[in-house]
Amino acid sequence: MIDVRQLSYVYSPKTPFAKQALADITMRISDGDFFGIIGGTGAGKSTLVSHFNALTRVQKKSGTVLVDDIDLGAKKVDLKRVRAKVGMVFQYPEHQLFDDTVEKDVRFGPKNLGLSAEEQAERARQAIELVGLDYDEFASRSPFELSGGQKRRVALAGVLAMRPEILVLDEPTAGLDPVGKRDIMELVVRIKETTCPTVVMISHNMDEIATYCNKIAVLGRGRLLGVFDPRALFGTEKALREGSVRLPLVTEIAGKLNAAGVDVDPAILKEDELVQAILKAAENA
Amino acid sequence: MPFLQFKNVDFSYPSGESDYIRALRAVDFTVERGEFVALVGCNGSGKSTLARLCNGLILPDAGAVTVDGVSTADRSALYDIRKKIGVVFQNPDNQMVTTIVEDDVAFGPENLGLKPDEIRRRVDWALDCVGMRDHATDGPFRLSGGQKQRVAIAGVLAIKPELMILDEATGMLDPDGRDEVMSVVKRLNRDEHMAVVMITHFMEEAAEADRIIILDKGKVVADGGRELFSTPEAFTDAGLDLPVSVRVAQKLKAAGLDIGCPLNADELVAATTRALAEKRGGK
Amino acid sequence: MRDVTIGQYYPARSLVHRADPRFKMVIMILYMVMVFFCESFFSFAFLTVFVIATILLSRVPPLKVLKGLKMILIVLLLTTALMMVFYADADSAPLAEWGIFHIYLSGIYASLKLAWRLLLLVLLPTLLTLTTTPTEICDGIESLLTPLKLIRLPVHELALIMSIALRLIPTLIEETDKIMNAQKSRGAAFESRNPFKKIKAMLPVLIPLFVSSFRRADDLADAMDSRCYRGAKGRTRMKVMRPHAGDFIALLGWCAIFVCILFLKYNWLGWSFIPLLGI
Repeated sequence: MIDVRQLSYVYSPKTPFAKQALADITMRISDGDFFGIIGGTGAGKSTLVSHFNALTRVQKKSGTVLVDDIDLGAKKVDLKRVRAKVGMVFQYPEHQLFDDTVEKDVRFGPKNLGLSAEEQAERARQAIELVGLDYDEFASRSPFELSGGQKRRVALAGVLAMRPEILVLDEPTAGLDPVGKRDIMELVVRIKETTCPTVVMISHNMDEIATYCNKIAVLGRGRLLGVFDPRALFGTEKALREGSVRLPLVTEIAGKLNAAGVDVDPAILKEDELVQAILKAAENA
Repeated sequence: MPFLQFKNVDFSYPSGESDYIRALRAVDFTVERGEFVALVGCNGSGKSTLARLCNGLILPDAGAVTVDGVSTADRSALYDIRKKIGVVFQNPDNQMVTTIVEDDVAFGPENLGLKPDEIRRRVDWALDCVGMRDHATDGPFRLSGGQKQRVAIAGVLAIKPELMILDEATGMLDPDGRDEVMSVVKRLNRDEHMAVVMITHFMEEAAEADRIIILDKGKVVADGGRELFSTPEAFTDAGLDLPVSVRVAQKLKAAGLDIGCPLNADELVAATTRALAEKRGGK
Repeated sequence: MRDVTIGQYYPARSLVHRADPRFKMVIMILYMVMVFFCESFFSFAFLTVFVIATILLSRVPPLKVLKGLKMILIVLLLTTALMMVFYADADSAPLAEWGIFHIYLSGIYASLKLAWRLLLLVLLPTLLTLTTTPTEICDGIESLLTPLKLIRLPVHELALIMSIALRLIPTLIEETDKIMNAQKSRGAAFESRNPFKKIKAMLPVLIPLFVSSFRRADDLADAMDSRCYRGAKGRTRMKVMRPHAGDFIALLGWCAIFVCILFLKYNWLGWSFIPLLGI
């Protein structure tokens, strides 16, 4: 569980260049959520999630963030514990690969946690297999000679080897082709079902957000504009939508059909529902 | 004579100690002046290799790439080829040479040895074309990804090429940035008659082109107009998706409602209302 | 991390912005020499008046200029403090002393002068980078160094390398930040005191940074080639540097200031009888 309470954050505070990045954000990510975070450039998405594993420390008198029982607003925070609990996968995570074999790179996290050599090895093996790579084939290969999609999996394994309970993903499918995108999202779903029950995802891709998330937080210029369920956000929250939120393609089509006088619910999120709705409208015609 | 022509082009690059990866095999296609072509294929299909072959950044192992009849293998002609073919690359951060937008746009025409006032005219024109005149004296750090790519496009435009290749130029952008770049490219093709080769794996973008070339494992597997979308296997076999509108139309057809092959939301809406009206009229 | 003022051009329309970068740089060199010829408080004050005038003339908010001093603030305070307590004056009695620390009146003067000198040394170069785009600076250097082409110095290439470095440094700083955060998220600690361990701890940052720098260099080379770059041969510039009357006037003005400072230093007019001027 991540509990964000009245969190604010200012860049370069107390200087003429101070910039409010987050303002008074209160929200709760419960265990088992697939929690989406959306908003335009400069909305504060990255600043917000970087609080979740204490990469960005809560400023004085600026609210707090609770990760289960750990108060990240406290003076002393057990960083190791937070970072093991909250796994953070940045944009283009393959750019952080550094070691000469896949296995060593994936071990980096467990090693930093001070685990025994056997435990490190065991975790690395499990993580590599969890991301769908064959351990015997990949463990001793250099991460730098893998394909783009494989590199990203290795980087993901490097985070999973920390055995996080909450996985935070920043644009996990950026730069991948359609098949690569689908593979990664299916992998994330598998991870959520098997090892890491809570997932937080920043994305610009509304199709992914609408398909996978059960709750969606909308940020705008450092403020929380609300937390919605997908159907409510893309169907009914008109005012918000007209601001900065794009629609999933399917919903856009549904909306246009509806506006053109076809009897279709404008809040449809899934392709098959749209097909059914059009067929039904055709029957009634 | 076609403007850009690939004749039986092979290209491989070394992988590991002794291995070679065959990135392109016997690639054959042409692009005419003024065309808008989408070149699609999944990662590893050889798309970017192909882009780099067009202006002689790399040379084919076999076959030939010719621009206006001149082979890119002719080193003395490379400079003239690069005047005719501009390339915009994927990463918006790795294409700017200087710290000021207008100076960067001027980089190309300066290399051409033009007179200062002619360079100034071209820079202003190019920035106008991409709608970035207001940012002429900004640094790159104030710009969004989409704006940086528009500057990169302006930098290529200022050379006044006849063909612009966008090598996954929208790949790292957010949806707003992609829209910005797409609308600039469409306008250039329409108003300036600039030939465009758009390399992408966003099918919604590919559906905007007049012609689509599908690349799979280094081979051209399909090359045709918009009607290509009515044979979905051509795309799915190459590991690609179809635009949402096409997928919906196909599912409708499978369920007995044929609305044709709309390529975007507006076409789908039009086709659906038409089909429904016919049904009503039929009764 | 983005506070580094170097390479952070502040766009504005002013005489200082419009001035020929070559003249600005020559004046800069002249000015730095001048600062070392300043000896008395009066000469410092005299020079400071012109520095302030130039800053006001440039229409850059003074705060922005002062921000450029942030980097050297610690050096400044430290050297001044050390100078103050370790200054030894055999001719007079100390004002105060604690163990090995002595404070003399002359020590206070000397350290204040040191601070003032450092401040002056940094102020105008900061203003130069704020009012002159890195491209202009590189072009200026290229133009000033042109005579060296005769001895086969690759002047154009050097200027280009500088320009690209200026362009990429902020990008690389940002990238370093990102990679460090990613490795911290995997439990990496960069706080080790042991320098050997520290370097080892930095490897997970340095290696990806190198990899990405090479990738960027490749990309940039492709982009430059594609835009018809083929070295200095046949290359022209959009912004041609043409000195105006104002540039010559400014240069003459600063020369005059230099002469005044020389007068003050060597007491050519014999005016050190005014006590204030002598300190």
